[in-house]
Amino acid sequence: MVQTRSKLTYSLILVVGALTLCPVVMLILGSFSKGLTAFGSFTLDKYVQAYTDPAFFEVIVNTTVFVLGSSTLATGLALFLAYLNNRTDIPFKFMFGVISIIPMMIPHLLFSVSWALLLNPSNGILNLVLKQTLSLESAPFNIYSLWGMILVEGLLDLPIAYLIIAPAMASFDVTLEESSRVFGAGTWRTLVRVTLPVLRPAILAAFILSVVRSLASFAVPSVIGMPGRVHVLATYLYDMIAKGFAPDYGKAAAVGMSVLATAVTLIFVYRALTAESEKYVTISSRGFRPAVIELKKARIPLFLVVGLLSFILIVLPVVVLFYTSLVPYSMVPSARAFSLMSWNHHWIEVLEDPASLLSLKNSLFLGVAGATLGVLLSIFVAYVIVKVRTQASGILESLSYLSFSFPGIVIGVGFMWFFVQTPLYATLWALLIGYIAIYLPYGIRPLSSAFVQIHAHLEESSLVCGASPLTTLRRIMVPLLVPGIVSAWILMATMFVRELTLSVVLSRPGTEVLAVQILRFAEDGLWGKLSALGIMMILISTTLVVLATLVGARFKLVEGGG
Amino acid sequence: MEIRIQGVSKHYFSEGKTIKALDNVDLTIPAKQIFTLLGPSGCGKTTLLRCIVGLETPDSGEIRIGDEVVWSKEKNISVPTEKRALAMVFQTYAIWPHMNVFDNVAYPLQVRKLPGEVIRRMVEKTLRFVRLEGFEKRPATKLSGGQQQRVALARALVAEPKVILFDEPLSNLDAKLREETRKELRTFLGELKITAVYVTHDRIEALVLSDTIAIMRAGQIIEVGSPKKIYFDADTRFVADFIGRANLVKATVLAHDGDHTTVGSGLGTIACQRRDIPIGSEATLCIRPEFLRFARGEAAGGKNILNGRVESLVFIGEAYEGEIRVGTERLLAKIDPDANLKEGDLVSFSVDPAHCLLVPV
Repeated sequence: MVQTRSKLTYSLILVVGALTLCPVVMLILGSFSKGLTAFGSFTLDKYVQAYTDPAFFEVIVNTTVFVLGSSTLATGLALFLAYLNNRTDIPFKFMFGVISIIPMMIPHLLFSVSWALLLNPSNGILNLVLKQTLSLESAPFNIYSLWGMILVEGLLDLPIAYLIIAPAMASFDVTLEESSRVFGAGTWRTLVRVTLPVLRPAILAAFILSVVRSLASFAVPSVIGMPGRVHVLATYLYDMIAKGFAPDYGKAAAVGMSVLATAVTLIFVYRALTAESEKYVTISSRGFRPAVIELKKARIPLFLVVGLLSFILIVLPVVVLFYTSLVPYSMVPSARAFSLMSWNHHWIEVLEDPASLLSLKNSLFLGVAGATLGVLLSIFVAYVIVKVRTQASGILESLSYLSFSFPGIVIGVGFMWFFVQTPLYATLWALLIGYIAIYLPYGIRPLSSAFVQIHAHLEESSLVCGASPLTTLRRIMVPLLVPGIVSAWILMATMFVRELTLSVVLSRPGTEVLAVQILRFAEDGLWGKLSALGIMMILISTTLVVLATLVGARFKLVEGGG
Repeated sequence: MEIRIQGVSKHYFSEGKTIKALDNVDLTIPAKQIFTLLGPSGCGKTTLLRCIVGLETPDSGEIRIGDEVVWSKEKNISVPTEKRALAMVFQTYAIWPHMNVFDNVAYPLQVRKLPGEVIRRMVEKTLRFVRLEGFEKRPATKLSGGQQQRVALARALVAEPKVILFDEPLSNLDAKLREETRKELRTFLGELKITAVYVTHDRIEALVLSDTIAIMRAGQIIEVGSPKKIYFDADTRFVADFIGRANLVKATVLAHDGDHTTVGSGLGTIACQRRDIPIGSEATLCIRPEFLRFARGEAAGGKNILNGRVESLVFIGEAYEGEIRVGTERLLAKIDPDANLKEGDLVSFSVDPAHCLLVPV
């Protein structure tokens, strides 16, 4: 038993290590090489070229403003929402759950596109409406700016920041505040001197995670930044490898090295902070209930703010896309627009477009096959991390969370250096391997919480009752794991169907995926086709989610009934 | 069914150090009794229980349940847990959260492939016995701590095992519920006449529930006996101190006469229960706080009549807890709540020689 376990641990370290470290090593080697065809002849030229480019300085400034601005926005909004939900008597609290979960199902690319459709300066729907009603000379808003990027990225990172801050807020020990009140501090002083400092690790963790995500973000910079010629690191990298006649993977790798180093460092800080925040905020076990602050007159206005936010985050993007996919060209919603609506303009065209059909097929395959293989690997990794607990399993844990910090486009460049040396280059398998490598933490996390939930006694008690190990596995372990397996599969499948950042680097003619095809439409300004394909993408994700949930429920029913 | 444990040892390796969880344990657990393994945490009691049930493998020795050897290093026998036909109530109850009450309790019977009708009847009977009738369809997670505990008990009882094992089953309940459940458990087990091995670190639980108590320390059995024997008549200082509150006073043996052994101590000369300790050697005198009998004022000296001063007095409801200074010693005393005493009073009290216990140093 002990032997098979350590064998399992070491082979998993090998597999996960290969998946996560291979692109990093190749990126390092690539950054010192002369070019994809001259791999192995080492030079420092690429670093010199990359870091002395006069455009580079502006890119760094833009990136810094973009990343810090959007993270501040996301964290601030998340803090505001978490406080309202956990600590006040604001009505319709279920909305907060919706805000934190649903936006994750809307792909970042489509969310960015919908804002471009609303607020672009030439024919953004909202701009057109405002111009008409206020009879303005020019469009009042221009989303194609650094501010536009910050706004959209901030909204996109809001759910993840909320998911970190809200639990900390919920488990906050209210007696800490109460004692501050007893010693004479008012509500405001208590908030500033006690509540926020105690929550600081969680707030910082949310901020840092937002920084890592916006640093890696490609959807917003490409859809909103590029048309306004605002370049950040992600699009700067993309330009090097996708535009022009001679893509320079060496220079891209050299720039990517600093992005990767920053992201990995930040993730280490993030993990230290989350460990800290778990230590900081603890609930006393008995009769715990946080005190609720009465909002009184502010109740309805604050509720409207939350309502507006959920509308912007959830309803608006889908409605705008759907509307755009039905009208022949960009127009203000009106009676005429509605009379012109038809499936024929874009939906039929997309369904007859071979490139779009191929991308639909490819993404569906990657979603289903990728998630299944990814979950299979995650089950073993999570088992070793949670149940084996040796030094080797600690190494596995660190390895498997490393890829959490990987900016997709940079790792894509690393994988490119690798796949070019293999027959996997330009196949769907290259994408599949890359996807699993980058999104492994999303599979491991729900499964390790499922394993944590299965106390050793549950298993032992079945043995004592006379059940064989096999029966125990079938009747106790598997049914308890099913919810974890289902959510891991859903997470991975939806991520894979929408995957953009890695795919823009790795996908080649014949292996286009949905997000890449959508990006092509965006670059060509084909908004109608884009929206139709985008809605199809959301439908595929939703169908996969529903199917996985049904299969999970069915499985549980059969097993639970004995 | 009798359980015989012979020469069982078990080592753990943790951070480069070897920990002796069980150190050559020999123990016979008599049939149809409630037998308790009592000891401080880390003394090896749970390890011993898990060796009996087969969830841990000892390093050496032999374990016999009834006539069957279930584990033997020498004979290379190791019966897997599921073939030992025992039952166990876990500290965490280990109620399976994805099943309802019926399925949890029916599980041991389903595993034994009994016909559905029989299973239904037996589960119903057992649930009635633990007073959970009507809870069959309830999801296991929708139960209170006390109810979960009773489901765990029902699951252990349902297949009518020869031996049932308890691993600190009450430690997750709050104080009041623990007291009620303790009484309930005593009633259930009393009716069943079953062999039960019960592990706990709570001495009251052990005293209330057991027919026999074995006290463990550092992987060894220190003493085995009935609750009264352990409480009044312990053989060692450790057991006397562990099983209840005790004043432990250094003493020297002066004489033996008839039923009594006389010792000299900081309290003066005290007559004790007879113990054959050589005259002139050191011993520890153990007096429990509740056996100090008070009379007001100072009395003339006599057999085990002592004079002292009340140094502190705390009212705890059912009694006063006082500290009495006698000579160079300070004794803890439990005093009747209606005693008219205050701090600084001179008091005199007597201790029955039968309650003065001598144990080796």
